[in-house]
Amino acid sequence: MGGASAPRRLSGMQKQVLALYRGFLRATRSKSPDDRHRIESIVSSEFRRGARQVDRKNFLYIEYLLRRGKKQLDQLKSPDTTGLSSLHFVPPSQSMGSRK
Amino acid sequence: MASASAASVTFRALSKPSLKSNVTSSLKIVSLGWRKNGFPSLRSSQFRISCAAKPETLDKVCEIVRKQLALPAEAELTPESKFSAVGADSLDTVEIVMALEEEFGISVEEESSQNITIVQEAADLIEKLVQKKPEA
Repeated sequence: MGGASAPRRLSGMQKQVLALYRGFLRATRSKSPDDRHRIESIVSSEFRRGARQVDRKNFLYIEYLLRRGKKQLDQLKSPDTTGLSSLHFVPPSQSMGSRK
Repeated sequence: MASASAASVTFRALSKPSLKSNVTSSLKIVSLGWRKNGFPSLRSSQFRISCAAKPETLDKVCEIVRKQLALPAEAELTPESKFSAVGADSLDTVEIVMALEEEFGISVEEESSQNITIVQEAADLIEKLVQKKPEA
């Protein structure tokens, strides 16, 4: 879709997806560099897979993915969460090793 | 076309005379970039002339965009390059904006980040936000 020169006009749903992606990337900032890198690559490949495989007209499914993503994001925001596909917990003192 | 690009580069040279060597190299790159667009778009430069970004900021933005998109060194990237023209999709753009946020210690709002389509726009927005940010 959209040629290189076409102005980018996003649908509401596309904006929601991008906002979710932004939320994920923002949430990873609070993780340790290692965890962060791992989570980021998982998140990125998941979104890209969705972008490739999911039909853009399949609103029901995209809405489902959005809902699921939001729940996962809420979990990820917990300082104890260090992974995505497999959630394992570390003591808060270790998980607080945030950048900056 | 060649004369048009030369004019723009001269302008940049005037504002930053110390970067002589940089300027000559960007002359080549700029004209290459415009070949793709067909004509130099004056829209953004007119619109933003009052808050044109510093060359350092532009360079840094270019560097981050290159890193995010894993562009090869020989790939051309100019302030007028559209992200989509260098192979970025909307997800990449989100990544670029997030990387810029971190690099410059700013926070880009949802709305404005969706309006960023070229390097120049990103650099201008960053300058604006960095100025607004209270010195920490």
